[in-house]
Amino acid sequence: MRYILTSLLFSGLLCFPLANAWASSDAPLADIDFDRSSESIKRGAYAAKNTCMICHNLKYIKYLNLLEIDFTQSEVDTFRGKAAFDSPIKSSTSPEVAQKLFGMVPPDLSLMAKARRGGARYIYTLLTSYQVNNEGVVENHLFPGIKMPDPLTYAYRTDEARQKELKQTIQDVAVFLEWAADPRAGERRHLGMYVIGYLIVLTFLFYLLKRKIWSRLD
Amino acid sequence: MSKLMSWVDARFPLSKFIKEDLTDYPTPRNLSYWWNFGFLAGFVLVLQIISGIFLAMHYKADASLAFDSVEHIMREVNYGWLIRYVHSTGASAFFAVIFIHMARTLYYGSYRAPRELMWWTGQGLLLLLMATAFMGYLLPWGQMSYWGAQVITNLFRATPFIGDEVVVWLRGGFSIGDATLTRFFALHYLFPFLIVAVVLIHLVALHSVKSSNPSGINLAEKDNIPFHPYFTAKDFYGLGVFLIIFCYFVFFMPQFFIEADNNIPANPLKTPTHIVPEWYFLPFYAILRSIPDLLGGVIAMGLSVMIFAAMPFLDRSSIPGGARYRPFYRVLFYVFVIDVIVLGYVGAKPPTGVLVVVGQVSTFIYFGLFALLPFLSIKEDKWLRKRGLPAEVDVLIKSESEEIEKKAKKNT
Repeated sequence: MRYILTSLLFSGLLCFPLANAWASSDAPLADIDFDRSSESIKRGAYAAKNTCMICHNLKYIKYLNLLEIDFTQSEVDTFRGKAAFDSPIKSSTSPEVAQKLFGMVPPDLSLMAKARRGGARYIYTLLTSYQVNNEGVVENHLFPGIKMPDPLTYAYRTDEARQKELKQTIQDVAVFLEWAADPRAGERRHLGMYVIGYLIVLTFLFYLLKRKIWSRLD
Repeated sequence: MSKLMSWVDARFPLSKFIKEDLTDYPTPRNLSYWWNFGFLAGFVLVLQIISGIFLAMHYKADASLAFDSVEHIMREVNYGWLIRYVHSTGASAFFAVIFIHMARTLYYGSYRAPRELMWWTGQGLLLLLMATAFMGYLLPWGQMSYWGAQVITNLFRATPFIGDEVVVWLRGGFSIGDATLTRFFALHYLFPFLIVAVVLIHLVALHSVKSSNPSGINLAEKDNIPFHPYFTAKDFYGLGVFLIIFCYFVFFMPQFFIEADNNIPANPLKTPTHIVPEWYFLPFYAILRSIPDLLGGVIAMGLSVMIFAAMPFLDRSSIPGGARYRPFYRVLFYVFVIDVIVLGYVGAKPPTGVLVVVGQVSTFIYFGLFALLPFLSIKEDKWLRKRGLPAEVDVLIKSESEEIEKKAKKNT
């Protein structure tokens, strides 16, 4: 009975956040294994700079932060052009012009991988969901009515080799934005391994101590 | 050292306090691990206060700066991400620990005489905790922070006659804004210290009536053991297990308890498609939505939290040991747990179709169980006494009362 109670309580408590997470997962996201190597993140940074950053800001990432993803100093200098080393990465379109072009200012991308359920998978799915419909208009199934025009002209790339290449670029952009949303994630997981390892040893010692002390009562 | 101690002891009962309330404090030896959660709640409270104070050193309670200052903590402050994730995960851990602590009290009937004041101070702590969590959730100034606060403060519109004025007064404006953020920050910093004060009262009451135990009767002296080293060792082992689970979430799944929408800065012009409260409010939120009328819903939600206080009156049984020796009460307990989980699920989903009915039925069951308890506990009492108590309880009650009598004779 006690075990039933225990499992009920714990599974029940876990249910709530899960129910929250399921509450609005309407469209299925692409199921892919991301390549999170630093080469891929770095390629993603260049691709994002040449496409996304034309219209979007990446305001929580400064050029100097690129050193954290294995950019060399001279690569950062080429990347930033005339922008200051410690300035945030800003779009090359002014908000006023963007407002005129799209009817809205494109959202900042620094937190995009956290602000959508599915994170990098959402970004990947969104960018690979552009298609030409029967009337010859480009549509996005994941986000019907999206104001962002197909940024990589994915919808028109029908030959397989070129599409494969584009998918690789899109996955690079997705993992780059994932890094941008949580640049401390690597450090966090690294430290976490030590913390959990330490706690397991400590708890085991506490368990032995408890057993030893309580054995005095027998 | 001993000279210093005797100097202090002549002026303040320090040694007496350490002896009577910490080291030699008599504790029933049959406590199960379910009795660890009070200590864990105290630990999480301290963790939240410490991490919160460090966050406050870098946070800016200003509608135009709040969101950026959280990102500043996450990215630029040394170990800021750790402090912030400990605090955000700690809020969920606090409720998880408190819910289990309450479930233990309900299961073993620990709220019964003479522990009513423990239960009622605990009820006060639950309200303070909910208020603190609610106000703290506004501070990151994300979309869900903003709209959650908008929806919940809007409930006060149900106040008769002066509803609209009350809402404006609470928010400091016609909608959630800078004034709301600064006052919530001030109160979010104050309330934990009120919680500490009520926890102290909770503990004074505890040390006067002593811990309940799974048998449900007060144990004789021979079955009580000193708190130290037995329960210090047991509590530390429990703490270790808790910390492993807690740190797993902090280091590997820190976004698990944070709504994706809360990573978008608050935008008063754009309502999210689906506003959900934090998971620990979901069952109560489901009850609120199950009543079609605003005032009725608010009353039902308030009652669903406050009704626990009535437990010492509703439970009329004289059988010791809560659900352990009471089969009907045990069924009631498990139905209640399942019902709360169902309500939590309904609260997380948009209120459409069959879920509306499920929510209403679950709300009815929620209150129905409390309404049923007085009659059921009397009937169960009669039935159990006619059948005879389980041999185990009979033997225990006899031996414990003999032991207490012997002690009383010795003293006279």
